[in-house]
Amino acid sequence: MTPGIDLQGTFVRALTDLGLPAGAAKTVWIPLPMVLMLIVATVSIFICVWLERKISAAAQQRIGPEYVGPLGALQAVADGIKLIFKADITPAKADPWLFVIGPSIVVIPVFLSFLIVPFGQNLVITDLGIGIFLWIALSSIAPIGLLMAGYSSNNKYSLLGGLRAAAQSISYEIPLALAVLAVVMMSNGLSTIDIVNQQSDYGILGWNIWRQPVGFVIFWISALAECERLPFDLPEAEEELVAGYQTEYTGMKFGLFYVGSYVNLMLSALIVSVLYLGGWSFPIPVKAITGLLGISETAPVVQIIAASLGIVMTMLKAYLLVFLTILLRWTVPRVRIDQLLDLGWKFLLPVSLVNLLVTAGLKLVFPVAFGG
Amino acid sequence: MLNFLKQVGDYAKETAQAAKFIGQGLSVTFDHMKRRPVTVQYPYEKVIPSERYRGRIHFEFDKCIACEVCVRVCPINLPVVDWEFNRETKKKTLNHYSIDFGVCIFCGNCVEYCPTNCLSMTEEYELASYDRHNLNYDNVALGRLPYKVTEDPMVTPMREFAYLPKGVMDPHDLPKGTQRAGRLPKDILAEINAETAKKETAEATSENSQ
Repeated sequence: MTPGIDLQGTFVRALTDLGLPAGAAKTVWIPLPMVLMLIVATVSIFICVWLERKISAAAQQRIGPEYVGPLGALQAVADGIKLIFKADITPAKADPWLFVIGPSIVVIPVFLSFLIVPFGQNLVITDLGIGIFLWIALSSIAPIGLLMAGYSSNNKYSLLGGLRAAAQSISYEIPLALAVLAVVMMSNGLSTIDIVNQQSDYGILGWNIWRQPVGFVIFWISALAECERLPFDLPEAEEELVAGYQTEYTGMKFGLFYVGSYVNLMLSALIVSVLYLGGWSFPIPVKAITGLLGISETAPVVQIIAASLGIVMTMLKAYLLVFLTILLRWTVPRVRIDQLLDLGWKFLLPVSLVNLLVTAGLKLVFPVAFGG
Repeated sequence: MLNFLKQVGDYAKETAQAAKFIGQGLSVTFDHMKRRPVTVQYPYEKVIPSERYRGRIHFEFDKCIACEVCVRVCPINLPVVDWEFNRETKKKTLNHYSIDFGVCIFCGNCVEYCPTNCLSMTEEYELASYDRHNLNYDNVALGRLPYKVTEDPMVTPMREFAYLPKGVMDPHDLPKGTQRAGRLPKDILAEINAETAKKETAEATSENSQ
């Protein structure tokens, strides 16, 4: 495997050449990718909201936002500014501390999870050994925040919404983790970089979706449920619960929930593309293309092109999945709470267990194809 | 054992069917995305109301004979007719007339039954107001004529679906002078008139020759 572009290495070397000690140079480097990732995550909210509104409009033969910015692209910005200027109300007899902390606990883990999302061999904030497990662990913090928000609002709809959200997140965490476990078993590592590298040898044919089709479907359904997207948006089902745990929230606290849900959607799409769709790898392996053209894979031009291609591919796959969720939103009706729990516990959990067992068996029988 | 296997098989079959139906639903939604939007961008574009549009009611004070037929045919006896009996002319004189459009259902019965045709339907439908009492129109307000959509320089008038040429679905950017599908009523009427006139002249000439 070629190392690809190592921005950190070159940056640190340039600073040490200027006379900075190596430790200081590394400290200067550390905030840069974090800020960049924050910006990417924030911009992805605007893109997701715009896509959501435009695609929804197209599916219903409407036009959608049109006047704010080119093709209505700045509509989400306008909405955000409106939310910032709205009155910040804490309802009477609400628990002020939990009421404030709730939304932030929902949002922070989502942004933290971007630590492990890779856009290239070295284009990742940290290549943690526990990688994907960090995401699973962080995503189980969010329901605590939702429950806090629901419980502290002093509103029965909020409480019911919060309870539903917690029940839903906890029940779908298990099939989600089991689906991830099957992938982890094949790639012999939790690190997201390892998972992508394991898929990148044969181009599109090597992607995990061919070896884990059932796992892919389970993961996708569970991820939708984790994001509380339709058809699993019943914590916020307005016909039953007004707006669920968000009912009493106004202004930017409500905005935080909004931000959290869209960043979570984007994050889930990115993780699916990493786990099952080959992450940053191009449908035809770069090695094959360079071999065909007779260029060295380590040539600087090739490296730059490959790195930018990797970022584009990751984004493209993620946004295709976002498109699919929006299409699903207008196709599938919302499930009832009992149907939701039935699907989670009685269908997805056994199927994901069987999937895990089958993967283990296949790993023993065909160690070549299943990462023995 | 066999029973259990059958249950598992049935469950798997149901799951596959559910997946198939979701796929079909997705393809329907995807197909809808290719269709052209039907939006009429309201304050800037407005649909031209059809000829028989039942909008706000117009009232001509001078034609009214205060017979109160409109009140009797109204489902809720809505029009308020305030009249006095004039002993000298032995006729009723109308003092005030009003209809509350917050209550009116625009059924058009009063227009239908008015013996002197002093009531008529307009194409006005923008009756929004901050106070529901403003919707109680007196005879002055009822006598006002609405502004036509086609004459408003601020508005691009859009033709309704039935008034578009054959095969055209989009009212935007129609070339000038295009006609709707089928023949216009005035053309049909003119043809009928011409035919009857011809018949009459033929009869007249045959009578003359006899």
